[in-house]
Order: sequence, then C-alpha cells, then structure tokens
Amino acid sequence: MKSKAFFLSLILLGTAACSSIVLQPADYSWPIENVLKVDDLGFVSETRYTFRINVKNLFNEEFKDSTSFKGKELRIIRDAKGYYYATGNEFKNVYVLMTQENGMKVENIIPVSQAGLKSPVMNQKNNSIELIDNGLKTYFTNKGIEGK
Amino acid sequence: MFFTIFKKSLILVLFFGFITAINAQSDYEKTQNFKNKYASLEQKIKDAITLEEVDALVESIAAFKNEFADHKALLDKTLYPDNFSSAIEKLEKAAELRKGDFTQIVDLQTEVGTLKTALTELNDQNASLLVQIKDLQFSQKKDQATINSLNRLVASLKANIKERDELVKGIVDSLLQEFTSAPSSLNDAEKTAIFKKVETGNLFYNVERTISDNIQFMKVTSLTADDLSDMKEQYKEFSKTWRQIGPKLSQIYLNQANRARQIAGIDELFRQWNFRINNEIWSSINQAFREKNITLMNFKNGDDFTESITTFIDDEVKNLGVKRSSESKETFYTFTDSVWFQQVKPNWVPILIENNLLTEAQKDTIETRFAQWKEKVDPGGFAGYWIYIAIAAAAIVLVLIAFMFISRNKKNRTVAEIAPKEND
Repeated sequence: MKSKAFFLSLILLGTAACSSIVLQPADYSWPIENVLKVDDLGFVSETRYTFRINVKNLFNEEFKDSTSFKGKELRIIRDAKGYYYATGNEFKNVYVLMTQENGMKVENIIPVSQAGLKSPVMNQKNNSIELIDNGLKTYFTNKGIEGK
Repeated sequence: MFFTIFKKSLILVLFFGFITAINAQSDYEKTQNFKNKYASLEQKIKDAITLEEVDALVESIAAFKNEFADHKALLDKTLYPDNFSSAIEKLEKAAELRKGDFTQIVDLQTEVGTLKTALTELNDQNASLLVQIKDLQFSQKKDQATINSLNRLVASLKANIKERDELVKGIVDSLLQEFTSAPSSLNDAEKTAIFKKVETGNLFYNVERTISDNIQFMKVTSLTADDLSDMKEQYKEFSKTWRQIGPKLSQIYLNQANRARQIAGIDELFRQWNFRINNEIWSSINQAFREKNITLMNFKNGDDFTESITTFIDDEVKNLGVKRSSESKETFYTFTDSVWFQQVKPNWVPILIENNLLTEAQKDTIETRFAQWKEKVDPGGFAGYWIYIAIAAAAIVLVLIAFMFISRNKKNRTVAEIAPKEND
C-alpha cells in the first residue's frame, strides 16, 4: 500500500514538472501596417520590430514568376494573436503567416480580389484586420474573411 | 416625380460614397503624412532666418496639432518612442529655442553696434597718439617737459591699445561661441547670422588694426620684460582664437576672393606680430648686455643665444693672459653677477622658457660654462672658501680637545680628594 502511494506521488510530481508553461494573454498587434521594399535578393527588413526575411517564395506563389519580387513593395501587419498578414499591389490574395524556427510558414491564403489589388492598405481593427482597396473594405482574421 | 426621387437618392449615395472614400484611409498613410509634415516643420524652424518667420511657424505648429488631434490615439501608438503630445512638444520647444537665437542675435547686433562706435574712436585716438609720439621722438627738444609729455602719451597709447584689444577680442570671442555652439557644417541661416556679425563689427579691419597697432607700439616704445610678457600672452590668446575661427570664416567667405585674401593677410599679420615680439625680447636682452659694454654676437633664437654666450666665454678664456687679470675678472663679474644673475635670469629667462624660446637645457649649458669660466678667471675664488672652512673646522677640533682635557683633569682631582678619606 505504502509503495503504491509512493509511486503515485512520483508520477504526479513528474507530470507537474513536464507540463508546459503558457504565458497568456498576449497582444502581438502592430498599430499600423508596414510597407517594406523588397531588395534585390528578395529580402524585406523591418526595423522597428526587427526582422529580416526572404519573401521570394511568396511572390513566386502569387505571380508564378521567380523574379516578380524585384522592385516591389510588401505590406505587412501583425494581429493580436501574432499572425502576420502580407499583401501588395496586384496581389489577388492576402497571405496569413506565422513564425517558425528560422522562417515564417504560410498558414492561410485569403483570396480578396479576382483582378488583383490596385492600391491596398491594411489597418489594425479591434478583432480583425481591415483591408481597403479602391474604397472597398474587407475584414478578415487568420481564418479567413469575416462573415463568410 | 420618380425622376426627382431618383436624382435625390443618387446625390445621397454619391455623398455617402465620398465620405466613405475619405474615411477609407490607411493608418500607415496617416502616420506617414504626420511624419512628413512634422519633418517639414522641423526643417523650416532650422532654416528660419528672422524672428517673424519663427512666429509664423509657431502658428503653423498649432494648426498642425489641430489637424491631427483626431488621430491622437493612433499616433500615440505609431510614433514610437514618442507619442503625439511629446512630438508636438518637441516642435514647440524647437521653435522657442530658435526664437531665443534671434533675440540673442538682435542683442548681439546692438552690442556690436556700440562696440563699433567705441572702436572707431579708439582707432582714431591711437593713430593720433602714434603720430604725436613719433613727432616727439624726432624733435630736437629733449628737455624734461618733452620727456614727460612723451611718457604720458605712451601711457595713454598703451591703455588705449589695451582697451581696443579687449573690445576686438570680445567680438572675436562671441563669434567663436557661435561657431562652437553651431554644428560642424553651418546652414544658410547660421552663415547669414555670422556674416552679419562680422560685417557689422567690421571684424577684419579691426583685427588688422589691433595687430598693426601693437606692432607700431613696439616700434615706438621700449618695453619692459613685464610688458613683453603681457603682450606675448595677449598674442597667444588672440591668435589661438583666430586659429579657431579663421578657417570657418574662410568657409563662409569662400566665394569672396577679396575677403579670402584678407583672412590670409590676417594670418600673416599674426606671424609678424609674434616675430616682432620675439625680436623685441631678444633685442631687450642684448640691450641689457650692451648697457654693461658687453658685446655679444647677434641672436634671435635660443640656439643663437646659447651659441653667442658660449663663444663670448670661449673668447674671454682665450684672452686670459693677453688682457690684464683684473680686466678679465671685471668682465666675468659684470657678465655673470650684474647682467645674468641680476637682470637676464630673473626677468627674461622665465619668459624665454615659458614661450619655448629657450630650453632648460640651454640655460643649464650657459650656467655650466660660467662655472668653468670662473675657474679659469678667478681660481682663488673657490680655494679661498676652502681655507675658511678648514680654519673653522680646525678651531672646532681645538675647542673640543680643550674641553675634553679640562673635564679629565677635574675627574682626577675629585678621585684624589676622596681617596685619603677612605683610608681613615
């Protein structure tokens, strides 16, 4: 009986030590989007939140052209949950990205325009991201367009 | 009827569409718009060249603040590390500071104007005094009254030159302050302010006059060691300040060939002034020897001076036996005691060393030669002392021996007196 109780307490202690620690809630949102120029090597650099990332694959995915990034701008904003939203002129989609070790992974692709965006801007709203293009407003989260 | 309703509805749709389009603005664009206007105002404050311009900018800042007040919440987040209020405060402070610069410039211009009048008067007075002094020096009349009058004129001239130098130095110093407080490259407004000050103060002319009057003053008067030491000090301070502002003034007057030449001319005048002071110091030292009928080879620097003295001593040593011994001794004592130790060493050597005209080593070389010279000219001088020391030592030894002898006798007598009593 005594030995059973001993093993049970050992198991309980072990479980407690292994459980992951979660810090919550968090707010990762950026107050405004960032408009970043893609350099010749396909990188964009953000100085305030300090990251540098190669976005060639994103342009390749969007335009099916490996050199389409040259001279382009990428608009990026981050929501409270920590998702990044990236889009730009002539994009048909907004890309939802999440950080991972040494990079970012596309978590979702939100189609927003059949013809391609003309002059998109993104704003931080309470629980979503606002996309304005040609006076048209669209609201979305990492899961997709709201109300759809 | 239907058409009228349709028309009104269309107008309403268009109106609300327009409102939506206005509101449909990127937060990013709003922030960028704020930042651009902010930077433009900041630049305008820097570039303002009059107090009125800054006053107008203060009003623009107030309008700018109102324009973006509705976006305060957004800007508070996006202007990191500033916020809306602190950014506006910075602008207002910059405008206030710039206003202060202009108020100071107006004050300085008034001050320079007053100085200019005083300077013109002093320049005129000095010119007239120099003429009077020269007239008196060339006059055949050398009675006491003339000499007294000359001395009075020299004293007034000296005081006037000093006063005028202080005024000019004040202008140069205030320019220097402006240069040191300004960034390394001056903007147009700063250049204009300095340009105005230079021209209002007639700076170039006054600096030239200061130096040339000092040179003239040295020519017409005989100066003491203290006078020359003061003048050297003044030269050093003044030329140091000029070396700091000269190149910057050259930048401002880059496109004015005549002014650029004038600046180069002033540099040359400073060199002449220094040369003249050094010359005067060496001449005064030579004069001290000449007054005692000692003729040295001409010297204008420390090397020549040391060389001249050692050559003189060598010649004197060579001439021993040719000249009468008393004559050689007299030359030695006059040279060393009357001139070197009494006048040159206390009055001139400190000035020479302080101004790097003579080194400690050179001074030591000269004084070592004096000891060697003395050994040749008057070898008994030191031997005589040794005799006195030997006599004094012998006297002390004798006194000690006598004291010991007396005390021993006393002891023996006491023992002899006690011994018979013990036998009893």
